[in-house]
Amino acid sequence: MQNQVISKKDLAGFVDELIKSKAAGEVIGIKTQGNKFNFGSLKSAAELRLDYDISLLPPKKYFFPQTETVLKYEAGANPRVEPVVEEKSMCIIGVHPFDIRGILLFDAVYGGNNPDPNYFLKRNNTVIIGVDCLKPNPKAFAASMGTAATDEGFDLMLTDIGDSYFVTVGTTKGENLLKKHAKAKDAKGGDLEKRDKARNDALKNYKVSLKMKPEEIPALLDANWESKVFHDKSETCFSCGSCVMVCPTCVCFDVQDDMALSLKGGERYRRWDGCMLTEFAKVASGENFREHKEQRFRHRMYRKGKYLVERYKYLGCVGCGRCATHCLAEIASPAETFNLIKEAK
Amino acid sequence: MKPRVAFFDFTGCEGCQLEVLNFNLEIVDLIGAVDIVEFREASSDHSEEYDIAFIEGSQTTQKDVERVQKIREKAGILVALGACSCTGGVNALKNRFPMEENLKVVYGDAAKYYTTIPTRPTSAYVKVDVHLHGCPPNRNEVISLVKCLLTGKKFELCHNPVCVECKLAENVCAFERGEFCLGPVTRGGCNAVCVTAGRKCWGCRAPVDEPNINSEKELLAKYGLTVDDVLNQFKLFNGALEVSK
Repeated sequence: MQNQVISKKDLAGFVDELIKSKAAGEVIGIKTQGNKFNFGSLKSAAELRLDYDISLLPPKKYFFPQTETVLKYEAGANPRVEPVVEEKSMCIIGVHPFDIRGILLFDAVYGGNNPDPNYFLKRNNTVIIGVDCLKPNPKAFAASMGTAATDEGFDLMLTDIGDSYFVTVGTTKGENLLKKHAKAKDAKGGDLEKRDKARNDALKNYKVSLKMKPEEIPALLDANWESKVFHDKSETCFSCGSCVMVCPTCVCFDVQDDMALSLKGGERYRRWDGCMLTEFAKVASGENFREHKEQRFRHRMYRKGKYLVERYKYLGCVGCGRCATHCLAEIASPAETFNLIKEAK
Repeated sequence: MKPRVAFFDFTGCEGCQLEVLNFNLEIVDLIGAVDIVEFREASSDHSEEYDIAFIEGSQTTQKDVERVQKIREKAGILVALGACSCTGGVNALKNRFPMEENLKVVYGDAAKYYTTIPTRPTSAYVKVDVHLHGCPPNRNEVISLVKCLLTGKKFELCHNPVCVECKLAENVCAFERGEFCLGPVTRGGCNAVCVTAGRKCWGCRAPVDEPNINSEKELLAKYGLTVDDVLNQFKLFNGALEVSK
């Protein structure tokens, strides 16, 4: 597949054409929200902001909504249960490479031997047009996690090279969309170098870095279960769950049944849940396996740095910096905790 | 037989009853599911027989205390409905002044005809089976409780701080907007309605099970509030609770 270059004006034309033609379903992109950025439905290319740092919520919400009905039931003499699965086509524009890595982890967790239909009927009908993050958030550390760029997980990947975008073509689907709806040209000699320079320059804009190779994290955690860092860092924790709610790699949900007031039936829904919340590890008997905030704090770090990578080969942290940005107690950054543990050794 | 439900109002603005009336179409289902035998804001019926009593407002006179104790004797299940009944609510602001002064400010020359006692949560006088927090309480939570009572399912209060619901609603954090928010230590279940509407959390739903009050005080101080400012934030709805001290 031949990589392309598209002028900024023609990219806007491409986006407007996607919105108008609905060729790839609903068009979603990065927009401003207050003084922040967030993914939302696009009415016009003029709303799209590709120069952002991070979105409030990661794009996972489009495959795994905050709350989602999964089945409806009728009670009574002839009970009936019917699964509820929403299928949706979308094109998400402006996904950063580290968030694409988050989606790849989700694919692994929700796929495997027992694929989640609610997730994949949305995920498999989605076109992802990524954009390289050239102005990272001050709390982000994707450069040292190896997640600042990605070779997989996108249909098209845009890189700002001045007056135009370099378009790395990832799939035939992406290539066809571009051919049909955009005025793009084949990349010429020198364009690829411009893309690589933009990417390399961006790496220098990261303010936080992991002081080890990401591959070293599982062994570091293995050797430091008793580390005082977990206790000290968790002292000021609100157990407010902000870190896990905004995380692109947090995959957990709670399931509840909701009977209608008529008592004739109801629905079962799932809602995002997370291990930093007090009730997360509480079971039916009332026992709570992670009653203390230090235990919850340690669990989250082990999940980010050890459990997920051992099971799914992807690290559970992509270095986006959302948790560190949202944490009012300023304790959530995994890089900071991993560095402290290493320094304490 | 359908369970008989009664609403009783004490000191408060009666906004909690109004919130129940605002159920729209669900009020029809509610009436189908239970017999509402006492509900002053909606009906002139009275009844001495009821299974579930909703207590709205706080008890601020000795007479109130005796009345709520009588209700407790008759009710199988007693529910504290809303902030005033659950924590004392805004009424507890008066606890900061001598009771005689409060009477004089409110009733002037007629003060001699009235008595008043410091505001306490309903649970200070009788056993409360369920607390439905909030000013006003969340209507979905009220309905959820009724459904639990009808089906015998255990009712669980929301244990998350408001922050969870703010994140789910994709709000920009109130602190980021330069506000001083009690969301990190306040019980959710309200869908972060105030922050979503562009305001901040005042803590009307009382603290979560394990509020990190020290951390919240540090946080508010970091954003430039003095100790008194911080306590005033807590006192609006939670003046009768330990967190405000």
